[in-house]
Amino acid sequence: MSDTHPILEVLDLHVHFKMLAGMVRAVDGVSFAIERGRCLGIVGESGCGKSVTARSILRLLPSSQTSGQILYRSDTDNQPVDLVSLDPKGNAIRAIRGRDIAMIFQEPMTSLTPVYTIGEQILESIRQHQTLSEDEAYELAVSMLNKVGIPDAERRFGDYPHQMSGGMRQRVMIAIALSCQPRILIADEPTTALDVTIQAQILRLIRSLQRDLDMSVIMITHDLAVIAQLADFVVVMYLGQMAEQAPVVELFQNPKHPYTQALLRSIVRPDTPSREQLHSISGSVPDPRNAPSGCRFRNRCPSAHDRCVQDPPVVTFGPRHTATCWLYVDEETGTETAVFRS
Amino acid sequence: MSDTPILQVEHLSKYFPVQRGLFRKTVAHVKAVDDVTFTVHKGECLGLVGESGCGKTTLARCLLRLVEPDKGRIVLHGEQQALDIVSASRKEMLDVRRQMQIIFQDPFSSLDPRWRVTDVVAEPLIAQRIGRAEAARRVLELLPTVGLGAHFADRFPHELSGGERQRVSIARALIVSPPLVVADEPVSALDVSVRSQIINLLLDLQSQMNLTYIFIAHDLSIVKHISHRIAVMYLGQLVELGTTRQVFEQYRHPYTKALLASALIPDPTRRDEGYVLEGEVPSPINPPSGCHFSTRCPFAQERCSAEEPALRDMGDGHWVRCHFAEELDLSEEIFAPVAALG
Repeated sequence: MSDTHPILEVLDLHVHFKMLAGMVRAVDGVSFAIERGRCLGIVGESGCGKSVTARSILRLLPSSQTSGQILYRSDTDNQPVDLVSLDPKGNAIRAIRGRDIAMIFQEPMTSLTPVYTIGEQILESIRQHQTLSEDEAYELAVSMLNKVGIPDAERRFGDYPHQMSGGMRQRVMIAIALSCQPRILIADEPTTALDVTIQAQILRLIRSLQRDLDMSVIMITHDLAVIAQLADFVVVMYLGQMAEQAPVVELFQNPKHPYTQALLRSIVRPDTPSREQLHSISGSVPDPRNAPSGCRFRNRCPSAHDRCVQDPPVVTFGPRHTATCWLYVDEETGTETAVFRS
Repeated sequence: MSDTPILQVEHLSKYFPVQRGLFRKTVAHVKAVDDVTFTVHKGECLGLVGESGCGKTTLARCLLRLVEPDKGRIVLHGEQQALDIVSASRKEMLDVRRQMQIIFQDPFSSLDPRWRVTDVVAEPLIAQRIGRAEAARRVLELLPTVGLGAHFADRFPHELSGGERQRVSIARALIVSPPLVVADEPVSALDVSVRSQIINLLLDLQSQMNLTYIFIAHDLSIVKHISHRIAVMYLGQLVELGTTRQVFEQYRHPYTKALLASALIPDPTRRDEGYVLEGEVPSPINPPSGCHFSTRCPFAQERCSAEEPALRDMGDGHWVRCHFAEELDLSEEIFAPVAALG
């Protein structure tokens, strides 16, 4: 199936917010595609625009100025729908939201409403998109809770969110997201608030459901270990721009962008000599309102150069491996020095 | 690193009452810290790991009496004399706080937004009855040591990034030159690229100023990197204590093994190698009888739920709380890689 059109294509996405202090370019020229049944990882630090990108796909940011294209193909033969052209409050996007594309949010503590039982919250999503009798909807809801591993699901159906632990609430979120069998699941830092043993359980659950339901997953995280374990293809973002994208093994073994290289070097691995100085990136992520011109990483980059004040080019290194950096362009001739030729 | 003890914790317990009803009758207790005993040696870094709710933060706060312990002794071997912190008078506590300081987890909420950096950092000196002029002079002297220029002195916390704020917290802890510092998840709230900067700073400061650390974290790779010895907590109790090598390579407690195995490996070519511990941490209000881990332990036998194991010395300063610590083969299949998922 992967030789056909990707299920979702983001083309030159820009999301800007007008604020009192000026224009915040939260996402600035991001393009990527996600294949059917695969997991795309978007990785970056706070303020890199990964969550804004995810929310733009579902048009959850009506006050933003969004341009570019987000092409969604529900089935291979269908004509693509450009989600950017839809009215963010209209019926067309509401039919896609939750049914075709569902999302799990970072905070299982705040993304469930405290005043309804978890059962009612699952039923709401089912009733919104499917015409089922009351009994059928109930049965589906309970079976979803079972599927995500909530023990004693029928009894927990009437529980309020405060009666459940963080891991259980995240499972409820996943059950709600999956109740309409979405084609794409967007998971925004789904395990950041959870403990290691629970994180392992939730990631295993997402992976097995992805296989069972032949679903595409967009995994958004700051944690490279989550990416390494789950993603097939990775987009690395920094301050609203795309630094690099590549298949996961290629990215970990052959990173090209200085930011990706530095990130990978700074993780503590099992074989890192203990108590030695770790590799680190100098400075910290600047405020997006004062992002540097040209390459936004240039004031922290160890290989920064005069040219970096201009917008860097996208250089191709292999099948689907690109990095946005001046480093690989010959200074005099202006030709790419490390270009992949097929 | 020497074997001279700087802090001896003996049978420390903290039970929080659970109150119900009109007269706030105490119906149960949360055993946040339950009979914890360990020693910290001069110049070492003792790591403390465990999942959320295991009592590691309560333990840290008890050590400084930010939370009043219910039982036990905390003996601080100070510069002049040994002193029991639990029964220390107000005046003695002033001396304790000069010798022992804490760095908090969240640099966004642990700094008063209305105070300038210089006031924040000088506060412990003012508490120690040192004049304002002298305090301000010492702050300016210390700031470069934690990697902040003198121009940061007049800034407010909202003008600083997360990493800079955490440097301010570190400066506040070190301004009274305490030999012992408790660091409660000092890097958890920081971005990946900044995290390694702060770890490097803590390592540098330890050798420069001859500090002793109690380092609390849930990120195993970081604890392993920085610690000489590690204590593992589960439901208020220590379950294993030993050198970093003993805990990471010669672990004898099934929980330690499970915790290590559920950490994600940041390598896409090594997927499905993790072990997933089933179930969740039980409520500390009614911890399981006998061994607290017995409900999740893959090796649990009848004896485990009937009889509570003691923390036993296995030799070479390796302590384990398990009835079967000698005989369990933790490399057994149960902890083998999960080959097929779903």
